[in-house]
Amino acid sequence: MIALFRLARRLSETDRTAFLRGLALMVTVLVMGVALLGLSGWFVTAAAAAGVAGVGVGFDFFRPSAGVRFLALGRAMARYGERLLTHDATLRALAGMRSAVYAGITRLPHEVQSRLRGAEALNRITSDIDALDGLMLRLVLPISAALAGLAAGTLAVWFLVTPAAAIALALIYALGGTLILAVTARIAHRPAAAAEAGLQSLRAASLDLMRNRADLAVAGALDRLTGVALEAVNAEETARNRLDDIERQSSSALSLTVGLAAAATLYLGGTAAEAGLISPARAAIGFFVALALAESLGALRRGLAEWGRMQGAAERVLRLTDTPPRPEPAVVPLPLPEKPLLNVTDLRHRRAGAQRDSFGPVSFTLARAETLLITGPSGVGKSTLLATLAGLTAPVSGQILLSGVPLADWSEELLRSWLTLVPQRSALMAGTVAENLSLALPEGQPLDEDLLWKVLEAVDLASTLRAREGLATQLGPHGSGLSGGQAKRLALARAVLRRPKVLMLDEPTEGLDAPTAKATLAGIRALLPDTGIIFVSHRSPDADLADRVLHLAE
Amino acid sequence: MTETCLSPAEAKAELARLTAPVSKQLRSAGMLAALSEMLWAAQAALVATALGGLVAPPASLSVPQAAIGFVFVMLLRAALDAAAQARANRAATTLVASERAQLLTEAARLDARATGMAPAELASLAGEKLALLGPYVSRFTPAMTRSRIVPLVFLALVAPLSWVVALIFMIAGPLIPVFMALIGMAAQQASERQMAHMGTLNGTLADRIAASADLRLLGAEARAGRELSIVFHILRARTMKVLTVAFLSSTVLELFSALGVALVAVYVGFNLLGEITWGSWGGQLHPASGIFLLMLAPNMFQPMRDLAAAWHDRASAFAVAGELKAAKAMLSEEGQIMGSGAAATALPPAALSWHGLALRPGPGAAPISLPDGQVAPGEAVAISGPSGAGKTTLIAALAGLIRPDAGEIRWGETALAEDSADAIRAGLGWLPQAPQFIAAPLSEAITLGRPGDLAAALKAAHAEEIIAALPEGLATPLGDIGGGVSGGEARRLMLARAHHAQAHLILADEPTADLDAETAQLVLAGLMALRDGGAALLIASHDPTVIAAMDRVIALEGNGHDAEDRT
Repeated sequence: MIALFRLARRLSETDRTAFLRGLALMVTVLVMGVALLGLSGWFVTAAAAAGVAGVGVGFDFFRPSAGVRFLALGRAMARYGERLLTHDATLRALAGMRSAVYAGITRLPHEVQSRLRGAEALNRITSDIDALDGLMLRLVLPISAALAGLAAGTLAVWFLVTPAAAIALALIYALGGTLILAVTARIAHRPAAAAEAGLQSLRAASLDLMRNRADLAVAGALDRLTGVALEAVNAEETARNRLDDIERQSSSALSLTVGLAAAATLYLGGTAAEAGLISPARAAIGFFVALALAESLGALRRGLAEWGRMQGAAERVLRLTDTPPRPEPAVVPLPLPEKPLLNVTDLRHRRAGAQRDSFGPVSFTLARAETLLITGPSGVGKSTLLATLAGLTAPVSGQILLSGVPLADWSEELLRSWLTLVPQRSALMAGTVAENLSLALPEGQPLDEDLLWKVLEAVDLASTLRAREGLATQLGPHGSGLSGGQAKRLALARAVLRRPKVLMLDEPTEGLDAPTAKATLAGIRALLPDTGIIFVSHRSPDADLADRVLHLAE
Repeated sequence: MTETCLSPAEAKAELARLTAPVSKQLRSAGMLAALSEMLWAAQAALVATALGGLVAPPASLSVPQAAIGFVFVMLLRAALDAAAQARANRAATTLVASERAQLLTEAARLDARATGMAPAELASLAGEKLALLGPYVSRFTPAMTRSRIVPLVFLALVAPLSWVVALIFMIAGPLIPVFMALIGMAAQQASERQMAHMGTLNGTLADRIAASADLRLLGAEARAGRELSIVFHILRARTMKVLTVAFLSSTVLELFSALGVALVAVYVGFNLLGEITWGSWGGQLHPASGIFLLMLAPNMFQPMRDLAAAWHDRASAFAVAGELKAAKAMLSEEGQIMGSGAAATALPPAALSWHGLALRPGPGAAPISLPDGQVAPGEAVAISGPSGAGKTTLIAALAGLIRPDAGEIRWGETALAEDSADAIRAGLGWLPQAPQFIAAPLSEAITLGRPGDLAAALKAAHAEEIIAALPEGLATPLGDIGGGVSGGEARRLMLARAHHAQAHLILADEPTADLDAETAQLVLAGLMALRDGGAALLIASHDPTVIAAMDRVIALEGNGHDAEDRT
């Protein structure tokens, strides 16, 4: 509930004027609808009375009939404008929310981020934001418009029919609406969460079944896990049925509210007319206004049905947008050029909750223009060491001095311009080779194609790309369209373009044959003569390429 | 997946086939809803009589009587609506659940070669896409029934009172679908373009999220954020384009219905005043008839408006029906495993032998003939051969995960067949080429629900220290491809699984591929430990160290088909 309020506030803040204008139009539409039915009812009844009385000739039929036509056409047009305005404002606000969610994801700790990879997390994020489009369109705005419309209708009935009819109308609608809204919000939350959970576990179970079906079949577990998936199907079905029941009940309750309000105004107006207090035509107004106000509840019906799902989505989206900012040091000390480039002492790292260190203690020094090879068996923590040195994850103890200054004291921006790391599974993106490379360069500068080719030459990728479409060669999602080794070298080229003072490479030679590996590393060294290079490899010939070797043992 | 777009007629037929099991419920839901809608005429008659009585006494119905009657009919209508909706909703959930169950059950038994459907595609089809059939069933179908019945009934009620009003209904009514169709076609195109863009948007976002560490290391986070926000706004602009057309169509609908209502109101008013004397079968309308006509007018168009509102449910259901049809066709074309994959009692140790085998490495590939061979209990045998010689395919066939085109596989005297596959597999251990874990706590991913001594298995595979470095130990969920452990560690966990299975024969596919020498040695030692425990080994490998450690080698020649695509 609180999450929905907070989110509605954030969404409406993005473009308050647009939402207010949309709301004003929504109220206009509602009021025009109420006026249309009220006027038509009055007109027909009054015309009948005049006809019966034989005074039809003197009856001013021109203005009411023009009013009916104006209201009918104007209302449809106003509705078109209102829909465009409110949808545009909502979509703008949601686009902003998507950006905020992405920014929140970039601020997540490295360990959490690496678990977010993959279509599942993405699916969750996009569908959650999509689910929120009803919050403004089908809850906040219609509720506000319904209140305004009810106030206008009540006033009209007060003056045109009787105060008693007005009070009955306002009470029945306000009480009925509030009660239904409150009860639905309360009881829909749990089944909506259950339906969502059911759908997620159904998806997870489908993935498991399909991916691991061979393993599961040999283990004789395929049958059992299919059963688990079918249970998820049933759980979702049960929760969905429950949600449908709630929606149906609230829908019936809304219909009943309308029926009661219409009957009450008919009764109160009609008896007043019988008593001769007002004309029958005026009595008709009350009844028709009550009927027309039913439209204000229409949009709410769907909003109520989505309530539970929106609530869960709002909570998850806010959790991501609320990711705390990265700590930035208050004072950034100046690097000390006389100190060694990198000085690491007694560095230890342990994952949260683990019983064993990922690596350590590790100590070493890296000088400018030096190449250091880190070797060790798989699982000894080589990649985690590089991530720690790059400031992606914090050590439990020990010290990293970059040019004499502790790593934690570097600002993110300055640190990234000094030091870069090419992870083992480096991610490229859909787009051209030039677009992928230009990510490494300052924004807004014209592309220096010669420089790009020089770097591609250095990583032995130039001839491959020349044979295709050069820098305009198009890559698919995740850089598909290049072989593993080519993608690796493109990522290397991207890092070299940044001209870092410390360059760290995780398994740069994996997937390359020995001569290519050698040529690539020599090419990088030639372009970056003063850079301290650290690379991780488990291939023994690679030792020749380094000035020094650091062996990590278990 | 292949192109899945069906023509509207095909999609309609496919949906009719899908909804056939629930068609009875749907028909009764539509009828009940139509009945409820028709009862509005009763409410209108009550109110019109009372108001008409006020205008032109004597009243045949007092105002309180009319008010009570109005509420009573409203209650009846609410009950009818609820009953209709309950039937429609239940039909929808039943249909979706049964399609999901059928899809998952069949997909789980696809043979090991099948590549027709990516796991994420299955998850998305079984998950949110099939869910889109729900609104079609529960909203569109009853609305369709209503729009066929209710306007005709109202027309029949109106015609005896005034042929002019009936004419207005008859002209305004059918024109609505014509305009709707015209605008709907434009909307369809716009929405298809937008759907395509939506796909690229999700791809772009996925790329950025997967690359978040890289972007940070390149100092390009803020820039990627700005670029994404441009993409988000392009999507918004395209969505608005679709909505503009969609809203236009509903505005046209509203205009027509509003015009219809306004015309009726003005005509009835003039007639009651005596200004117009034609159109009501000679005489003047009674005040009650006039009010009745006015009240009926908006509801005359309501079913069509509901139908228009549910139109996009139909469009999404058409798309899903196409995909579902393609998926089912794929499932029936690709092979199924032998047996059901259920737990069974293992057969006693015996030699696994194969004779005259011919196997297709992929769905479209030509069969490869393989040399006969056998593995005796306790024996260690390597299968070697160049890429594409059929090593992986042979291993899968021996486990009953692929049906051979020719030949026979035997466990002792028992032939591998539908009824014996589960029991034969119960004696097997399995080390796949790419280690994968189910999305469950690691303990369950290793045991896969089988009884046994997990601690001993972890110890035997030297996997205890891997567990110790994990955040939650054995309770850590590793997820699909073992995020959180290195490739070598994942292999050792797979070894622990093989130890835990207490198998008579271990089938392993390239157990040392992509590993450094040190780790490869560790994995090989783990395999040899399994052998020392009494299990036979059959290992497909081209690693000379592994082959040298075996008692014997079965060499596959390969016949030029490069079907095993290893990159």
